[in-house]
Amino acid sequence: MSGIDAVKRIVETEAQARNIVEEAKDMSQDILTRASKDAEIAKQEVLAKARKEREDLLSRARMEAEAEAAKSDTDTDQLLATYQKAFQNRKDAAVERALELVLRG
Amino acid sequence: MLRSSERWSSFSEVRQTLSQSFEKLQNRILSDAKLKAGELVREAEAKAKQTEEAAKAEAKKEAEAFLAKARLDAEALRRRILSSKVRANRLRLLEEKNRIVQSILSGVEERLSVISDIPGFMDMVKKMVNEAVEAVGADQAVVRVGFNQASSKGLDSLSKDLPRGAKLVVEEGALDQLGGVVASGASNRVTYNNSFRARMDRLDTQLLTVISSIVFGE
Repeated sequence: MSGIDAVKRIVETEAQARNIVEEAKDMSQDILTRASKDAEIAKQEVLAKARKEREDLLSRARMEAEAEAAKSDTDTDQLLATYQKAFQNRKDAAVERALELVLRG
Repeated sequence: MLRSSERWSSFSEVRQTLSQSFEKLQNRILSDAKLKAGELVREAEAKAKQTEEAAKAEAKKEAEAFLAKARLDAEALRRRILSSKVRANRLRLLEEKNRIVQSILSGVEERLSVISDIPGFMDMVKKMVNEAVEAVGADQAVVRVGFNQASSKGLDSLSKDLPRGAKLVVEEGALDQLGGVVASGASNRVTYNNSFRARMDRLDTQLLTVISSIVFGE
C-alpha cells in the first residue's frame, strides 16, 4: 500500500467513525424525542385517569346525597303525618288550655 | 550485503508490520467512534429515563392535587344537595307547625267570640273591668265593654261595681274583634286594653309554648 493509499484509508476510516458518531447522535435525539412523547402520553394518561376519578367521585357524591335527601323527604313526610295525627288527637285539649290562659289573663 | 531474496523478505516483513499497525490504527479509530457512540446513546437513554420519571412524578403530583380538590368538590356538592333538601324539609315542618298553631288559635278565637254563652261570663267580665280600671288608676275612667251576643242589659249592670266617677260604655258587638274591656283615663292619656285580642297578643309566647307542648310534646 502506498502512502497515498494509506492516507485515503485513514480518511475513509475517519469518515466512517464520524458516521458512527453521527448515527449515535441521531439515535440519541430519537431516544430523547420518543422519551419526551412517551412522558407526555404517560402524563396525559395519569391526568385522564384522575379526571375520570373526579367524575366518579362527583357522581358518587351526588348519588349518595340524593339518597340521603330522599331519606330526609321520607323522614319529613313521616314527621308531618305524626304532626297531623297529634293535631287531630290533641287539638281540643290545646284549644282548651290556650283558652284558659287567655281568660286567666 | 543482503542478497536480493533476503532484501525482499525484509521489505515484506516491514510492509506486514506497517500494514498491521495501520489496521490497528483503523480499528482504534472505529473503536473510539463506537465507544463515543455508545456513550452518547447511554447518556440519551439515561436522560430519557430521567425525563419519563420526572414527567411521571409531575403527573402524579398534579393528579393528587387535582383529586384532592375533586374530593373537596364532591363533599361540597354533597353538602349543597343535602343542605338544600334539609332546609326545604325544615321549612315544610315549620310551615306545618305554624299552620297547626294558627288553626288552634283560630279555635280559641272562635270560642272567645261566643264566650258570652258560658256560665260565669259576667263574673269574668267584672274581673276584666276591675283589672282595666286598676291598670288605668284614674278616678274618672271611661270603661268600654263589648262582647259578641252579650246582652247590653247584663253588661249595663257592671256600672254599679265601678268606682265613683268612672263611666261605663257598652258597645254594640265585640270590642277589638273578639270582645273585651278597654279602660281609659279621663283625658285618654292612659289606656289599658283588656280585650281578648290584646290578651292574646300579650300572651303570644306563652300561648305558643302551651300549644307546642300539648300538640308536639315540645
